[in-house]
Amino acid sequence: MRAVPSTPTTRAYSGSPILGSLSGRHTRLLAWGALFAALFAGVAARLLIGRDPSTGEWLFGIAEGEIVALRVGAVQSGAAAGAALGLSGLLLQALLRNPLASPFILGLSAGAGLGATLAAWLPIAAAGTAAVWIGPDALLPGTLGSVSVLLLVFVLGRRGGVLDPLTLVLAGTVIASMCGAVTLLVQSLMPPTSRGELWSWFMGQVPELPRTLPWWNTVVILVIVLCASSWKARALDVASTGDDEAESLGVAVGSLRLWLLVGASALAATSVALCGPIAFVGFMAPHMARALLGGLHGPLVPASALAGAAILIWSDAIRQGIDFGSGRLPIGVLTALVGGPLFLVMIRSARLRRGDWSC
Amino acid sequence: MLRVESASFAYSRRRVVNSVSLQVEPGRTCLVIGRNGSGKSSLLRLVAGLRAPTEGSVRWCGRETSAVAPAQRARFVAWVAQRSMLAIDVKVRDVIELGAVRGSSSASLEALLHELELEPLVDRRFHELSGGEQQRCIVARALRQHPNGGLLVLDEPISNLDPSEAIRVIEALRRRCQLGAVVIAAMHDLSIANQWADDVALLDAGSLMTFGPASQILQPTPLSSAFGCEFRSSSGSISLHLPRRA
Repeated sequence: MRAVPSTPTTRAYSGSPILGSLSGRHTRLLAWGALFAALFAGVAARLLIGRDPSTGEWLFGIAEGEIVALRVGAVQSGAAAGAALGLSGLLLQALLRNPLASPFILGLSAGAGLGATLAAWLPIAAAGTAAVWIGPDALLPGTLGSVSVLLLVFVLGRRGGVLDPLTLVLAGTVIASMCGAVTLLVQSLMPPTSRGELWSWFMGQVPELPRTLPWWNTVVILVIVLCASSWKARALDVASTGDDEAESLGVAVGSLRLWLLVGASALAATSVALCGPIAFVGFMAPHMARALLGGLHGPLVPASALAGAAILIWSDAIRQGIDFGSGRLPIGVLTALVGGPLFLVMIRSARLRRGDWSC
Repeated sequence: MLRVESASFAYSRRRVVNSVSLQVEPGRTCLVIGRNGSGKSSLLRLVAGLRAPTEGSVRWCGRETSAVAPAQRARFVAWVAQRSMLAIDVKVRDVIELGAVRGSSSASLEALLHELELEPLVDRRFHELSGGEQQRCIVARALRQHPNGGLLVLDEPISNLDPSEAIRVIEALRRRCQLGAVVIAAMHDLSIANQWADDVALLDAGSLMTFGPASQILQPTPLSSAFGCEFRSSSGSISLHLPRRA
């Protein structure tokens, strides 16, 4: 037997795919610096760019009075919903061992939207009055909607007893379409005065005056899931092996999966209640974090939340300057136009074709 | 000591392990041999506690392996799958570090890297490695989990390895046996099994045909009966006899 080297070495950094040539410590510092810089730059941009609420005119520069409150409100909404979507996407990718998973693509956002819409419409239908749309504040119906959709996708996404990445995506897309159709049907049954607000929520929005209850719901659930996910980071790494391997390495896969299911669905539901269904943020944020910080979940959990917040705040800032004559570009359109091509690149990527990340 | 008593296992109605009994003393290597589909992998999953036997029991040091919570079981049983998967893109070092289970007396990472000659690979991405290199990493992960005593369950651990890598892995496992571990592994290469195994369990259609010291089991008669082809023995080694071309 050969002699064993006695010199201890420090644990190396997992490695960033795009900053890989630098040393571990420098890479880590640079990666976190880039994430925080992106977030702070986005916040600064959104605080400087906006529209006059009365005239709709584009305003650039340091605002005063009521305008400042509106811009700060938009930053609060974007930060909370973006972080929730980013973390939800990461947890779904871990749950399904599938890099294509996200709350929007798998239909969770649509399910949460349907649940919340039904919860808002049912009292109106029952009372038979032309009540005013009060917004999808109800957290429980939204969570039930997203959990139901995820369970359905989980069952339909299996081929030959294993989860197939592309079948999952197809199942999620179809179920999202069906949920969207039923939501539109409910919208047609709503009083005409409520339809406009429902429609703009359905397209995705970052409210400048966020309703208190959905915003606090999002923040509280985000903090709980963020802390618990950081605590379970090693279990998430281990669970990326097969079920038997993960069990043999000490992780109770069943209870971890249940936790991921509830955590990801609750995050998706709260973000939908706050901002409506917004496409691809939950897909892009974990990949952005992974590109900077590597694949281990310890850094990925907070980094995905940060990246999600940065993406949504930046998107909201950029859309302030885009107007095709009918008001600001809906944020869901912008995130879909950026995230959609990235999603297609991922589908075409050699890694996915080789099946490295398949289940 | 590993003690398997009349253990059976069925997937829905299909019985894949049928009343298997065997016993392996600490410090010994038991190889499980049989045709494809004979129930080797299922038996190893029972031994590792990853499945509960539908009948009978599997005990390690008196404890039912499947009845112990995963976090506790990981401290005394390590498992190497026939085909390992990893859904995250990380370096080899991180993969091996997944074996550092809390509460287990983990081996030094550097010593392991040296032992399995993985130092040149340690900072490479796991997905970029060849099948054989990945398999060595997964064995290293299991050894990181259980450096000395304990139960090492391996499903075809050297199937993708070239001869020099296979010898390196077998030597590492032998050292664990010298320190009191039990190694139980499935494999197909009978010439290596003949030199490595202390005990052999010969399976056929889920049932144990015979179990005992390798010198008795790895003989032409029981092997020909199990595999349905002809084996020959010469000067202590066993070889498959290929029919002459017509």
